[in-house]
Parts: sequence; structure tokens; C-alpha cells
Amino acid sequence: MSAAVESSVALRITDVGMRFGGLWALSEVTFDVVRGSVVGLIGPNGSGKTTLMNVISGVYKPTTGEVTYAGKRIADVPTHDVCHLGIARTFQIVKPFASLSVRENVAVGAMYGREGAKRSTRASFERAQELLEVVGLARVAERPASDLTIPDRKRLEVAKALALDPDVLLLDEVMAGLNATEVEEALELLRDVNKRGVTLIVVEHLMKAIVSISTTVVVLAEGRKIAQGAPSDVLASQQVIEAYLGSRWVKRQEQLAEIEAEREQAKRVQPPQAGA
Amino acid sequence: MKRIGLGGITGNPGAFAIVLGLMVLLLAVPLTHNGYVETVFRNILMYAAMAYGWNLIGGYTGYVSFGNVAFFGLGAYCSGVLAAHGVSNLFAYVALAMVVCAVFAVIVGFPVLRLKGHYFGIATLGVALAVADIIANLDVLGGSSGLAMHQLDEAHFSTYYYAMWLVALGSMLGTYFIARSKLGYAFVAIRENEDAAAVLGIAATRYKIIAWAISGMMAGSAGAIFAPANGFIDPSITFAVDSNVFPIVMTILGGSGTVAGPFIGSLLLAGANELLQRFFVKAHTLFFGAMIVLIVLLLPRGLVWLFGLRGGVRAWIKSVQVYRA
Repeated sequence: MSAAVESSVALRITDVGMRFGGLWALSEVTFDVVRGSVVGLIGPNGSGKTTLMNVISGVYKPTTGEVTYAGKRIADVPTHDVCHLGIARTFQIVKPFASLSVRENVAVGAMYGREGAKRSTRASFERAQELLEVVGLARVAERPASDLTIPDRKRLEVAKALALDPDVLLLDEVMAGLNATEVEEALELLRDVNKRGVTLIVVEHLMKAIVSISTTVVVLAEGRKIAQGAPSDVLASQQVIEAYLGSRWVKRQEQLAEIEAEREQAKRVQPPQAGA
Repeated sequence: MKRIGLGGITGNPGAFAIVLGLMVLLLAVPLTHNGYVETVFRNILMYAAMAYGWNLIGGYTGYVSFGNVAFFGLGAYCSGVLAAHGVSNLFAYVALAMVVCAVFAVIVGFPVLRLKGHYFGIATLGVALAVADIIANLDVLGGSSGLAMHQLDEAHFSTYYYAMWLVALGSMLGTYFIARSKLGYAFVAIRENEDAAAVLGIAATRYKIIAWAISGMMAGSAGAIFAPANGFIDPSITFAVDSNVFPIVMTILGGSGTVAGPFIGSLLLAGANELLQRFFVKAHTLFFGAMIVLIVLLLPRGLVWLFGLRGGVRAWIKSVQVYRA
């Protein structure tokens, strides 16, 4: 591999396997994340998306394989230093500091994230306010985080992650529970973040959102990577359809198609008979 | 946990202003009262300093320590040792106590603060018992028969009061400035969700040890002044169950995780305890216990919480229900 290609790789996920008891939640997952790209990570429920996010962000140490970022193995870095490398994440199950205000929640990230050491307490609050405006939470900045609705908590998660000044941002279902307009807003926000040079890894169930934002889509099923490529190619793949809708569904579709074809044929054959 | 009317990371500002005002008033106690009353108020200030210490680790950081009396005792013995070597400067007592307690907190905290929840509480209880036992068996420190300390004469006896006042004030202001700093936010983030705190770049173990060390310095300073003021120390006095439990109860009653709470709790609890002892010589602990149960039931977030409550009795009943739910 040439040096230019090498340096454009932000995250390298190599042969990652993760076992919980007797269950392999992930096995032999390998892919590279190119700097500046948007990787959509999709797969049916229980396919290992969140587990992979946890491995990438250093919350879990993988049973096999490794995730490297800028040449460093994530598993060797303590959880609290992963964000200092430049990797930030949101949680699918949101984790706000309930007794702190919305602004304080974000300020904590600004205080202890990658640029935190350089920021005063005051500068951290100013940064937090800026980010709240970016994600559209400025109106509730003073409220306790526990008062927020679920969509607003998702926004707060994004603001907290952005406060860490990341190069790579992992987003775990930040659009779940948003309505169509809100999804559009969220996509706009993510595109904007990506334009500023932040690499995104997005886990999402909303296919429309994934297709519209991703440069690459990686599909997991039962802990294995079954497809990777441009969104439209991946979604047309037989294997992906099978993973989502089941092989029986695919078989039935085939049978239905056969029956349909037979009928068509019968129709085409019949007229001469009728004429005879 | 929902927050109703607890204004910000330092708690209700009005409550803090009242507490500062009370502290200034307390300066006048030795001018008008000597002897018994002065001792009562000096003990209130002592408990306040210990409560502030507990508040940092238990209230702000969310790690319920049952071992802070170890710091109090260590602080007292620092004074005892210095006095035995002819040092009588109270500042020296406090300085040594702070250094010893901080070092002890770091050494013990490193293994102990990796534990979470109940395990941490039990381990700290063990630490306190162990320290008391070790001192009781060290002949250099007087063993279980203790150390007598030279006391100032009556004309200068109020020096102990003022010294304890300074220790309490220092603990209170220290808590205020720490809470508002980056450090305070790290503590609260750890309390609210340690995993989420780590993801935001907070090295939890490091900050827990810092919280415990400062906590220990506050309790140790109180012990360092208590020893000469009391004139005598032994393991049963300096590692008393009361000295361990009172600061915890005071902080929770006053409002844990606030700057005003520990002082308000100490003032009311130590004051009430003193009055009950006077009027009910035998049954005072019964009333004392009943009072604590009532306050916990009716003021689940402590007395400071009342300051931020708007809407009268109805709002209060509703809030109690919210906290119970």
C-alpha cells in the first residue's frame, strides 16, 4: 500500500472478534475508515453494531484482532484517553449527567476533552454554548438535563461528543425517535460536522438517512461483515436483503417470481389456444 | 435523580449567603460566652469541617465513605506527635495533618477507590478500624492509653475556637471554589455516571483520589485542632463512631453536594443533640434518632433544598412525592 493511501486511513479495524460467554457478538470484522469519510454501519437488530462501536471507542477490549487509530491500538489506551486521541462517541442509551444543566453537561466535555487542558472553566462554558446553538439546544441550556425529551437528549449526546473536539465521531442511533423534519435537520448538522473534516461512523436504522449521508456502508449480520461499498450497491445486494428480511422471505419472493413468470408464460401461450 | 430548586453546582446561592453570615456571627461566640457554650460551638465548627470533608467525596463525587474518621484521628495524632516534640504552633499542627492525610488518602485510595458502591463503603470502614487498631498498638503514640497534650491557659483558650473557625471556613470556601472549578465538574460527572465521565476524558480514579485527599485534609485539620483543645487523645476519642457517623448524617440532612448543606446540618444536628442531652438526659438519643428519621422522610434532599422550593406546602408535598418515586 502506498504512503498516501496509508495516511488517508483514519481507523483500521482488523479481524475484530468479541465474545460474551459462549456468544461471538463480533467475528472477523475487518475494514478501514478513510479520513474525512462517512461510514454508515447497518445491520439487523443484534448484529453487533453497538458492540463494534464499543470496541472502536475502547469501552470493550476485543477478544481477537485490533482497532488502530493513527498507529495506536485502541485497546492499549485507557477509556478516558480515547477521546484525547481524537475519537468521540455518543451512546445509544443516552447518558446525561442528570443533576447538571444542559450547558454544564456539554462544558464537562469541553473541560476534559482533547482541547480541555487549554481551556479555562469559562472558555469551556462559552464553547458549550456555541455547541448548544449548533445542535439547537440553546433554548434549554439552563434546564437540568433530566428534563430533556428523548430527541433533545440525543442532541445533547452529539453536543457532548463534539465538545471533545474529535477527528472521528461515532454516532450510535442519534436519529432514533426524531420526526422527518428533525431527521433532515440532524443530517444537515452531520454533513456540516463532516465538512469541517470530522470522520463519521454512523449507526442508524433509518435507511434513507444512511443512504443520504454515507460515503461507504458496512453491513453487519450476526456479528460478521457481509457487505461493504457504496450505499446503493450494498442495499441492492442479495446477501444484505437476506440478512434483513430473512432467507425464507427471499425464497418466497423467488417462488412468487416463478409463479408470476409461469402465469406470464401461460398468458402468452394461451391466446393461440383460445384462437384455435 | 431530578433536581428541583438546587441552584447549580454549589447549591442555592441564598443558602450559601446565609451560611457565610452565620459564620461571621459565630466569630462573636468567645466574646460573650466562655467554657461550655464555646466548646459546644467549637464542636459544631469541628463537625462542619468534617462534614465538608465528607461532602466532597460522598456528596460531590458520590462515593460514600465510612472511613473519614481515620483522617480526623490521624490529624489529631499529628498534633500529638508534634506536641511531644515541643511544637505548639497550631498552624504547624494543621499543616502536618494536611500533608499526612493527603499522602494517606493517595496511598489507600489507589486500591480502595477502584471499588464501587457498597464495596467502597465497606473498604473505607475497614480502613478506619485498621488505622485505629494500629495506633492503639503503637507504644510510641501512647497505645490505647493515649497522649496527654499541653493546653493553653484560660486567657488564651479561645485560640482553639478561632483556629477551628478558620478550619471550618477554609473547608467551606475550599468546597465553594473547588465545586465551581473544573475539579468540581469532574467530581459530579463521576457521581452521575462514571462510564460517561470516562468517555468525556475524565480519569475517574485520579479524580476520586484527589477528592478523597482533599476530603481527608479537611477532616485531618479538624482533628489537628481538636487534639490540643481537648488536651488528651486516645484511639477511642479520636476514632469515635460519632465522629464517623455525625458528619455523614449532617451532610445529608443539610444537603449533600451543596456548599451550604454541611454547615447547616452541623449547626442543627450538633445544636439539637446538645439541647436534647440537656433536657432528656437518658432518652436524648431516642429523640435524636426520631428527628433524623423525620428529616430524611420529609426533606429527602436536605434542608438546603427548602431554600430553592417555590410554591409553598403544596410544592413541597409534590416534590417529596417526586423524590420518593
